Amino acid sequence: MTDATLSTLARADAARLKHFAETLIEPLGDIEVVQSRSGLVMLPMRDTAQGTAFHLGEVLVSEAHIRAQGRIGYGMRRGTDLEAAMAMALVDLAQQMGVSTKACAAFCDAEAAAQQDADTQVLRKVEATRVDMETF
Amino acid sequence: MAYVATRGGERAIEQAERLFREEIGPFDQARVNEIKQALPYLIDRVMGEASLYDEDLAALALAQTGGEMFEAVLLLRAWRTTQPRLTVASPIEQDGLFTHRRISAAFKDIPGGQVLGPTLDYAHRILATDVLGGATHAPAPVEAADKPAPAHLPSVSAWQAENDLVDLPDPDPTIGNDIPDLTREPLLFPAKRAHTLQSLARAETGGTLALGYSAMRGYGSAHPTVNEVRLSEAEIEVAHPDGRKFSAGRVKISQAEVVDKKGEKLSLGFAATFGWNEVKCISAATLDLNSPGAAKGAPTEEEFFLYHTEGVESSGFCIHFKLPHYVTFQSSLDAMRDARAKKAARPSSSETEPAE
Repeated sequence: MTDATLSTLARADAARLKHFAETLIEPLGDIEVVQSRSGLVMLPMRDTAQGTAFHLGEVLVSEAHIRAQGRIGYGMRRGTDLEAAMAMALVDLAQQMGVSTKACAAFCDAEAAAQQDADTQVLRKVEATRVDMETF
Repeated sequence: MAYVATRGGERAIEQAERLFREEIGPFDQARVNEIKQALPYLIDRVMGEASLYDEDLAALALAQTGGEMFEAVLLLRAWRTTQPRLTVASPIEQDGLFTHRRISAAFKDIPGGQVLGPTLDYAHRILATDVLGGATHAPAPVEAADKPAPAHLPSVSAWQAENDLVDLPDPDPTIGNDIPDLTREPLLFPAKRAHTLQSLARAETGGTLALGYSAMRGYGSAHPTVNEVRLSEAEIEVAHPDGRKFSAGRVKISQAEVVDKKGEKLSLGFAATFGWNEVKCISAATLDLNSPGAAKGAPTEEEFFLYHTEGVESSGFCIHFKLPHYVTFQSSLDAMRDARAKKAARPSSSETEPAE
């Protein structure tokens, strides 16, 4: 079971995420940046013929790891936008520390709805390509 | 083979590279963005063969090399070695794929139905020459259905296993860094299945098609029927330091299962790659299907097809022949002249044999 909020933040619109995270910096107070870097995530896949797990290849990601008052904020997103990964970590940290809780929830809900809507639009187009096949 | 140290030509070498780059001209972020938006399937192919998923980097590599695919893939393979590996994600499972296209040529009524998704399979291949006359080519918009397609569908082979048509083994419990990794260990034969599938995932498309096609035409032992072709997006499932699993985003992947009837059950071949590249997956799955028991030196024998579809190695070996081989070639010439001289020095048979 994956964490829906973190998954939403990882796919959130980068500009909106960074803009929102800026509002959290002051209320969060002192923050220690443990890590801010780009790197690779190896992505395995399971073969459907024999069940073997194998490596499909590596994905470029940006990662941010921050800390405050014993809590860890973490962000990892596709691509090289370190600021966006840091923004994700700030929102994660704020949620754990109870900072701007309502605003964080509202932001995540709005982003989740936008992502759901985008997925639905794609799948409606995909559905238009379904074949109603007759064979003779 | 022997090499000789040479000196000189530095200026010529520098100017030659400049001449190559002059034709491409200056490029910037705008060109990279244009390549990324206009050529998604080329980007997919580069990412798959580079075994590195990032559209911006792939577009940059294409911009920098003027579209010279082997150079672009080499640039990306080299660049990835500068980056730390942060973690290994959870293995992609079929029921988690956000599916855009899934068809089967073997069974009409697969669970979830036949969904064509984005394809040119049935398109008229007519070049839009009016664009060269100033027209804008604007594709007709998709008439979206009222309801969305199901995002997640099981594999066709799982359905066949339920119907006792194939035997599926228990899932491999190997995860993380325990999964064999070609980027950190050599390819040895007989190859581990994880190595075979990883190597096919990063294989060069043209080479994979050529060898797969030879099997399809009859130089293999099994004729493939496409059990399933799927284009989808997979989640990159990673862990927060506190243990919570989440998706760090999605990547486009393609996969193919091909099937052949052998005995009482169906046998399966499988392949997958980054990006949407069906031809490569069907070809690679055909090689996987044909490899058990293939004769040494046959195109369907795993050592043969894994070595010969590794694009960076094969293109690198090919272009190395352009480098100075003066010593080896002179040695060959010497041997040729020596043989010629010995032959000339030998008395001809008409002189040594008495006439009858």
